[in-house]
Amino acid sequence: MSALTGTVMHRTQNALLFAGGLVQLTGQIIKNTIRGKIYWKLLSEQITIIGWKSLPLVVITAISTGMVMSLQYGLGLEKFGGKLYVPKLVAITILREMGPVFTALMIAARVGAGIASEIGSMTVTQQIDAIRALGTSPIKVIVIPRVLACLIALPLLVAVANLVGNAGGLYVGAAELQLDPHFYYQKVVTTVDFYDYLSGMFKTIFFALFITIPACYFGLNVKSGTKEVGQATTHAVVISSILILVGDYFLSKLFWVLERWA
Amino acid sequence: MINIKNFNKSFGKKVIHKDVSFYVREGECLGLVGGSGVGKSVILRSLIGLEKPDSGQIEIDGIEVHKLREEEMIPLRQKVAYVFQGGALFDSMTVQENLAYPLREHFKLMDSEIKKKIKDVLEEMGLSGNELNLPSQLSGGMQKRLGLARALMMSPKIILYDEPTAGLDPYNTRKIQEHILKLKKKGVTSILVTHDMPTALAVCDKMVYLHNGIVSSSVMTSELNNRPNDQIMKFIEGEVA
Repeated sequence: MSALTGTVMHRTQNALLFAGGLVQLTGQIIKNTIRGKIYWKLLSEQITIIGWKSLPLVVITAISTGMVMSLQYGLGLEKFGGKLYVPKLVAITILREMGPVFTALMIAARVGAGIASEIGSMTVTQQIDAIRALGTSPIKVIVIPRVLACLIALPLLVAVANLVGNAGGLYVGAAELQLDPHFYYQKVVTTVDFYDYLSGMFKTIFFALFITIPACYFGLNVKSGTKEVGQATTHAVVISSILILVGDYFLSKLFWVLERWA
Repeated sequence: MINIKNFNKSFGKKVIHKDVSFYVREGECLGLVGGSGVGKSVILRSLIGLEKPDSGQIEIDGIEVHKLREEEMIPLRQKVAYVFQGGALFDSMTVQENLAYPLREHFKLMDSEIKKKIKDVLEEMGLSGNELNLPSQLSGGMQKRLGLARALMMSPKIILYDEPTAGLDPYNTRKIQEHILKLKKKGVTSILVTHDMPTALAVCDKMVYLHNGIVSSSVMTSELNNRPNDQIMKFIEGEVA
């Protein structure tokens, strides 16, 4: 019983430390972004790494998702004579949920892991200490360019994913479900409104923070050794994914309330 | 110039330092010696605020370092340079970018001025021609010298050396020794943490020996030969850890 209590206490303490650390890091990011200078060169490098280099992964994920959704909806709705609703369902699901969530999960896996391992390695090799010892701040030089780059790149990637996902849906709709491509396109255009698009895009701001802040936190908190770098990477991806998936529900709910209120 | 009073530091339940006190005068080079794990580097890191003491005082040039917050450390870190044991070079930057980094951060210099300063420092360190190489393309000795070169870019008044000759061949060790002596002649105050006793004896004015968390002995290097039973002499001769 005492061992169980000890484990629970230990885990609770770790969870509180982590939550406190994230809040503290977020505060430092906000303060330094407002007060400090922006490293434009580092920011553009990170936009390339996070945005441009993630594009193939995002395109493959989005097109596969759109195609599978179109096929599954088609097969399911065909039984009830509802095949014609496939374009509407695919478009709204991609714009509101699948586009932002799947893209964010892919970026968490690719970029979050990369950020945590890179910063973790820099911590182990004392490069983070060197940044501090040279009178500069790792928050300004390392963390902020990555956070800002993700805030810029993720909405753009989601925009591409939305487009490609719907194109995938259209292709399967035409090739497998024998829907007229023009009809499919017209249904998508007439169904989707600005709020559907905005709902997905609104989430990307939070998802970008859910990816980068835990990744930077775990990287900066590596104490020693390559084993800890590996653990930091795993934790970053797991925590980011959980935050994205759980956060998605609350953000959807929030936007739903706002939409009704508006 | 540097004054440490009643410095205490623990990691968890492990007590590393118990009331450690010593001072370094302006222009002096102090050798901080002792067995592995006695916390020599911890003291060095605390001097520049990379670690916080549990209690005690650290004064550099009249500044109470232990009271400073991270952002208040910036002016101090511009005049106190730290030479890391492993170099701590930015591996994604070229040699030139590594050296330009502190200058670009703290001074508004023209590109031509930065390039000239880099050229001069690289020449002084015997690293000319490596401007566009990455640190990983340099040998261990060259990386150590590059670490020292980066520390010199802001013309510091104080330099903290953390094992600058560890793992180096005799040639590179001698080169580092020469640089430390050259800087000492220019009036730079320094603390040298090392296990390399020939280097410590060659460059240090004073030696402080840490043992079991306390200053076990503190002697002027010139007096060592007259004190054969001193703890430092026993450490040098390998009789104690």
